[in-house]
Amino acid sequence: MRQTEPRTRPPRLVAWLVELFASTNQSESILGDLHEEFLDISSESGVVAARRWCWRQGVKTIAHLAGAAFRDAPWSFAAFVLLGFLLRWFGAALPARAIVAILRAQRPYSNGHYDFYLWLVTWGIPTARVVEMTLIGCIIAAIARGKEIVVTTAVIVISVAVVGWNFFLHTRNLPPQIPIPWGFLLANLANWVATLLGAVIIREIRSLSLRLHSTP
Amino acid sequence: MPANFLYIVGLMANRDYLGEFEHMVLLAVLRLGDAAYGVTVRREMGARTKREVSIGAIYTTLDRLEAKGYVQSRSGDPTPERGGRSKRFFRVTAQGVSAVHRTHGALRSLTEGLDLLRSHS
Repeated sequence: MRQTEPRTRPPRLVAWLVELFASTNQSESILGDLHEEFLDISSESGVVAARRWCWRQGVKTIAHLAGAAFRDAPWSFAAFVLLGFLLRWFGAALPARAIVAILRAQRPYSNGHYDFYLWLVTWGIPTARVVEMTLIGCIIAAIARGKEIVVTTAVIVISVAVVGWNFFLHTRNLPPQIPIPWGFLLANLANWVATLLGAVIIREIRSLSLRLHSTP
Repeated sequence: MPANFLYIVGLMANRDYLGEFEHMVLLAVLRLGDAAYGVTVRREMGARTKREVSIGAIYTTLDRLEAKGYVQSRSGDPTPERGGRSKRFFRVTAQGVSAVHRTHGALRSLTEGLDLLRSHS
């Protein structure tokens, strides 16, 4: 049973991605069509051709859904993206400030908690930032109802462009004895993934709640 | 010049012609009658225009046409060949038929008197 199952349904990843990008009322019809055509192509040309078709359709469908989310309401889309970008921008310094405030108030290094102090100054700030970015992803998705993933992806794309440009400007004239700060890019990558994860969590919660309400 | 500008702005404000893709989707839904849903509309368009259309393009266009009042949709029953999901059937409204007529009229009027074959040779 488990061996034959993948032959009778589209690749899970494609279906999941399409569901993430589609609005809740579109996803039922789009996934149904994907399933129906997958079975037809699978019986006519084989599973490999059907899977290939499914991936092609999935990518094209996601591109159309993303484009339509912007075209149908460009002003609200732009407002959500701007808000998300500002949240990330102004929120970026908060974890460091909070941890410095904790260090000043509690002085863990002088109270015998030196390991905790070391953890805070090395991993504490990046960890707090990842948690904060996940929350920001949740906030963006909560505001941009129906366009959760498209808006969050747009915020991340803008952030990648800004960070990438700054990284280029800072590293192009760096003296050879100073190493390129790849850790900075890695930390940003973790933050982008965390923001997207926050949006995916909210989208999944909404889809689940809709499914529960529509089940008789 | 200002008169022309105002005329163009006026035309744009009252524009309710169909876009190329909207036009094709509406015609496909009209041709299919009661059997019009995502898969059949996509196949009809593929067969008649020799153009591979994505499922997403069909649904975003149909949603836009529904928002304009040119089509109406209703849900069918869930079926096993759709993984337990229901079909969404579409039908063209009277307003949609008028939009098709209006667009055809505009295209006819614009192509009237043009010898397209000669101008391309």
